[in-house]
Amino acid sequence: MKLVVCFCNFAQKMVGAAEEVQLIRLENQVDNGGGGAWEYLCLVRKLKVRRSEKVLKYGFEILNDPNKRSKLGGEEWTLYEQVAIAAMDCQCLDVAKECIKALQKKFPESKRVGRLEGMLLEAKGSWADAEKTYSNFLEDDPLDQVIHKRRVAMAKAQGNISGAIEWLNKYLEIFMADHDAWRELAEIYISLQMYKQAAFCYEELILCQPTAPLYHLAYAEVSAITHSYLHLSFQ
Amino acid sequence: MAEDLVLDTAIRDWVLIPLSVVMVLIGVLRYFVSKLMRTSQLPDAKIVKEGQVVIRARNLRAAANFIPVKSFRARKVYFSNEDIQLENCDPQAITVDIENGLLYVPKGQAQNPQAQMFSDPNMAMDMMKKNLSMIIPQTLTFAWVNFFFSGFVAAKIPFPLTQRFRSMLQNGIDLSTVDVSYVSSRSWYFLNLFGLRGLFSLILGEENATDDTQRMMQMSGFGFDPSKSLSAEKDSLDIVQHEWALPKFEQRAESVLRKFIS
Repeated sequence: MKLVVCFCNFAQKMVGAAEEVQLIRLENQVDNGGGGAWEYLCLVRKLKVRRSEKVLKYGFEILNDPNKRSKLGGEEWTLYEQVAIAAMDCQCLDVAKECIKALQKKFPESKRVGRLEGMLLEAKGSWADAEKTYSNFLEDDPLDQVIHKRRVAMAKAQGNISGAIEWLNKYLEIFMADHDAWRELAEIYISLQMYKQAAFCYEELILCQPTAPLYHLAYAEVSAITHSYLHLSFQ
Repeated sequence: MAEDLVLDTAIRDWVLIPLSVVMVLIGVLRYFVSKLMRTSQLPDAKIVKEGQVVIRARNLRAAANFIPVKSFRARKVYFSNEDIQLENCDPQAITVDIENGLLYVPKGQAQNPQAQMFSDPNMAMDMMKKNLSMIIPQTLTFAWVNFFFSGFVAAKIPFPLTQRFRSMLQNGIDLSTVDVSYVSSRSWYFLNLFGLRGLFSLILGEENATDDTQRMMQMSGFGFDPSKSLSAEKDSLDIVQHEWALPKFEQRAESVLRKFIS
């Protein structure tokens, strides 16, 4: 069984209710043969949800049809990127490679394309090469958030959870206001049953978004598990 | 003295509107030129980290009442302690003795940023480029307005003004008996200069180089910003009174629900 790649936007963004409804509507519309594939793809991209099979199917359709492709104009390249990522998620590596090749031809020295190449290496399973590619990028620009996150995702995919935690902590030391990263760290700690640390992360999340009920609930659960509420003073 | 001057509609057609149109076009041109000329600045790691620290400290202040007392105090110490060796209560990192909180800026360092600003060639070049792109079009347009559109009354301001404004607003008009509300085209130019900012943020999106006045304010506090904002955050964090909201929450929920039902 091939490895599944974890993604940069690893925490699923919490999609608002209205957008969810629109997404489902567009999905049904496209599934049943009505047009609107391009709007669907744009919405998926905007909301950062993970619908890789559909994206792959409809995106590939658009890309293979030269008329539709020329209609897209400049957006064509964003679509290539989206389809490449979806293809890697569904393990269709040759499709991904084609898309990346097309992007490489157009943008030879681009960091974004280089990142996609790194992701392709990850999907193929050549961790060392991917690691080398990412380290090169980080040498050029040590403040590239996405590459840091990819490194964490890679460590996680390889099963090296403590490595992932270490990388993530280092990342958070610089970018401490990034709540997706805190969320990911909390989930990792919970999977390792390190509840005290997970509680800390949830507190951070509550501080950034006190109106999100999810974080309060999760914090409550973790407190219940560790019985930390018993030791809290109410002053 | 108080009579109404009738202004030719040709003034409106050939002075006011063309002037506005020209200024909008120049603004758009400047935006694209500045986009082309902008070198991608590699953000300094320290500045990024400081920015993030400030955001985190601000969040802590805003939502302090949602976390229990101990965690709040732990974070407060993490941010603002001074020269005290304390065990780092932050389990996210390996336990280390930290000497200074993240927001604490020792006196010596505060002076550096400004010196740094002038000695760093990159930053100086950048600022010069930005200045040039701002000053040259302004000067050129102003000269053009003065050359072509001077010597006549261009518009009437709807509210009365005192005599003090005469020298400012009526520059080309050499009659001292004309009401101050009647202004020359130079004042229309200045009006447009400051007023078109809103229009530009509509057409060009948020990031546009025409935000002159804002940038002028920013320039003065460039290198100083990080240390000042850090100490400002530290001070406001010191002030915060913490009161955990949880004990009172049930009563709050009850009162809200009661209001709902009644």
